[in-house]
Amino acid sequence: MKITGEHLIEAPPEKVWQNILDPRVLEKITPGIKSLEELAPDHYKAVSEIKMGPVKGQFEGEFTIKDKTENKSCKIVLDQKSKIGNALAEINLELIPVSDTQTKVHYTGDARISGMLARMGQRLIGGVVKTLSKQFFEALQKEIEQ
Amino acid sequence: MGKFIGKSIKRKEDVRFLTGKGKYTDDIKLPGMTHAAFVRSPYAHAKINNINTAEALKAEGVVAIFTGQDECGNYGVPCGWQVNFKNGETMREPQQPLLAKGVVRYLGEAVAIVIAETLEQARDAAELVEVDYEELPAVTNPKEAMKEGAPLVHDEWPDNAAFDWCIGNDRAEVEKALENAHHVTELEYVNQRLAPNAIEPRSYIADYNAADDKWTLYTSTQNPHLIRLLLCAFALGIPEHKVRVVSYDVGGGFGSKIFHYTQEALLTWATKQIGRPIKWTADRSEAFLTDAHGRDHVVKAKMGFDKEGKIVALLADEYCAMGAYLSTFAPAIPTYLHGTLFQGLYTTPLIHLDVTAPFTHTVPVDAYRGAGRPEATYLLERLIETGAKEMGMDPAEIRFKNFIPPFDGVNQPGYQTQVALQYDSGNYAPVLKRALEMAGYEDFRKEQEEARKQGKLLGIGISTYIEACGIAPSAVVGALGARAGLYEAGEVRVQPTGKVSIYTGAHAHGQGHETTFAQIVADKLGIALEDVEIIHGDSERSAFGMGTYGSRSLAVGGSAIVKSIEKVLEKGAKIAAHKLEAAVEDLDYADGKWTVKGTDKSVSFGDVALTAYVPHDYPEGLEPGLDFSSFYDPANFTYPFGAHIAIVEVCPDTGKVTLKRFITCDDVGNVINPMIVDGQVHGGVVQGIGQALLEGVVYDENGQMISGSYMDYAMPRADDVPMIETDRTVTPCPHNPLGVKGAGEAGTIGSTPAVVNAVVDALWHLGIRDIPMPLTPARVWEAMNAAKA
Repeated sequence: MKITGEHLIEAPPEKVWQNILDPRVLEKITPGIKSLEELAPDHYKAVSEIKMGPVKGQFEGEFTIKDKTENKSCKIVLDQKSKIGNALAEINLELIPVSDTQTKVHYTGDARISGMLARMGQRLIGGVVKTLSKQFFEALQKEIEQ
Repeated sequence: MGKFIGKSIKRKEDVRFLTGKGKYTDDIKLPGMTHAAFVRSPYAHAKINNINTAEALKAEGVVAIFTGQDECGNYGVPCGWQVNFKNGETMREPQQPLLAKGVVRYLGEAVAIVIAETLEQARDAAELVEVDYEELPAVTNPKEAMKEGAPLVHDEWPDNAAFDWCIGNDRAEVEKALENAHHVTELEYVNQRLAPNAIEPRSYIADYNAADDKWTLYTSTQNPHLIRLLLCAFALGIPEHKVRVVSYDVGGGFGSKIFHYTQEALLTWATKQIGRPIKWTADRSEAFLTDAHGRDHVVKAKMGFDKEGKIVALLADEYCAMGAYLSTFAPAIPTYLHGTLFQGLYTTPLIHLDVTAPFTHTVPVDAYRGAGRPEATYLLERLIETGAKEMGMDPAEIRFKNFIPPFDGVNQPGYQTQVALQYDSGNYAPVLKRALEMAGYEDFRKEQEEARKQGKLLGIGISTYIEACGIAPSAVVGALGARAGLYEAGEVRVQPTGKVSIYTGAHAHGQGHETTFAQIVADKLGIALEDVEIIHGDSERSAFGMGTYGSRSLAVGGSAIVKSIEKVLEKGAKIAAHKLEAAVEDLDYADGKWTVKGTDKSVSFGDVALTAYVPHDYPEGLEPGLDFSSFYDPANFTYPFGAHIAIVEVCPDTGKVTLKRFITCDDVGNVINPMIVDGQVHGGVVQGIGQALLEGVVYDENGQMISGSYMDYAMPRADDVPMIETDRTVTPCPHNPLGVKGAGEAGTIGSTPAVVNAVVDALWHLGIRDIPMPLTPARVWEAMNAAKA
């Protein structure tokens, strides 16, 4: 499944970059997240709870940040498992400066989902991803403003 | 027509069903009963590295957990039909294990069973079982599965073929006839995979009694005796006389409850391990994932015509999915229940079908209402209709030109097809004539023309069909690879008071046997309908039975009962003769009494029954009692046929298809209860409409099912279906005592191509020749848009 989208953040790329890569911030702003543990630099263990239409589940797994080009781009690799199915995703994140105080965050990637999540959630997943990303970026904006 | 036969008697069993008093397996609660939940694979194909049950075993209420590593992992359920490769090699037959062992081969395959005090506890504990999978590539499309380098479902074989098979005339001869044909119509399409969706999900209770060393398996099956045989002799190797299989009321089967499922054997094994009864009932998700699916053929077919529109040759190549393992009847469906119907109602002189049946990383595929015959009818009826249109001929006219001339199977012999079967009796033109008349075919074309001028898209589609029913003659099915005989047993037990209990090996799961069979018995014995009770669904009550599928109950099971009735009347006559002091030859039997011809001296059925059980004054040498059992093995299949017509309107803006009318004229031989036959036709037609317009199981490229709930799998609803207009002709079956042919599948077989033909008819002028099923608004809209471009 393809995932793409973008969001405008009222902050310069450096600021966005710094916040997105900070595990303490991520733990605060990621929707549904219950815990985030740093295993190694840029390598985390995450536990989250996600509801997708009729299915709800606790996800556990790792995510890794790779191919970093400072203040510009990186790749996020997610491998999350749950009783309702597993998700494997690779997402490329790009920070595009729009002005001195604005950054467009563009993301594009591919996700593979399995189990009940795929069976029941396929039709809803696009919408859920959109909602969750929106929540994520809005929380990020708030975090930066504080 | 008798007093009851031929009458629309209201169904006796409906009182029970309509008042919530049915007895379904899930309604049964046994003392000390435990509940099972399964841990199922989230992948279509994966290696199981490890299963950790430690946490789950500690959970509240857990009684036991078993995995493929336990003894049950050594057992598997058998396949009941063998189809060999064209080169004579035996088909590839992997063991279908009760629980996956080391590898999972389809999404939802069971990896572990968790047994607990309550269902909730079993489910909660199942979530605690940790399975370490290593996901492997999967293939779900049968054609893709045969490509070089496709992921293998079973590593022990070099490719995915379970078998390949062909039927009909020499392929080269058929190809040559196509080359020389005046016109050749070619279609490539997918007859899509369907989920059976019985309203009652599968349900089982296994109960081992150590004191008697006996098992009872309550199961929602269509054929209890067959399950007992497969379970005891092939799956577990336990003595057959120590197992009782019971299936009281069953809420729909459509084929999906014929098969011996792994859960039946696993629960039967596990109940002895824990010494307590175990219940498992599928939830709807499990039904989607684990009930054997139907159809899934990838087809390429050609039909050649001469100048007049006579079919000169038919050639088809099909890839038919088997799924990950061979289900009970799976190999028979795309072969002997499919290729053998390629003659249809037509005189086609040259026919050839090549089938490749690969394993795929999906749930097994097996019989689903019609089983192979809807797929055959779809192929024939789409081809002949398209051929007619391409040649500028009338689709009705071309069918009349190709119909096999009438034959009654008595004065004229049966019709020998090019594809093994010999039809019993047929008179095909009248059903189409009648259906056309009901549809107002002549006027419709004008109406269609007018509607087009106003921007409305109307279409009419015809389909004619034949099917092979009453799946039976043992010798024939044996020669075709069946590993069981296919006869039926029926016992007539006359009680001392003259009331009659009938024990049949057929099984009712919606068909109304309790009424239909009682009508026959009451008429033949001349007694009241309420004096007859039909008993089925218990391996310890009926002598034996092959169950109900393939529209066989009345033709085969009904005939077995008739044979027993004849025996009862023969013995009864001897007793009556003794009582009346007359010779047997001088007696007549009518209206429930024996009368000495030409006199008013008579004795009633009830008197004779009582005498049989109180034989104080009794014929010398005659055994007491009035109880006869018979096995009936018919001479041939039966061959019902019919014509269906659909009239549709397609919305030019949205592509939504609205069925305006649906007309059937079927010939199912003699009819015992017209209302029940109509009901069977209605249900069947709606199921066929479901395939044409709404239903389809979709696996994504990783083998994930993305149509696993009613949000994504559309079942037909009342507002998708118009009033179905039915009529019948009657061409009796010449070889069974009732002259009946079977009506259970006719609706499904005939209706699907009629609907698709109608939609294509509505859009033909736009250049549209075919739309892949199901014809959802999106697909129709897409086709219209592509045609515009």
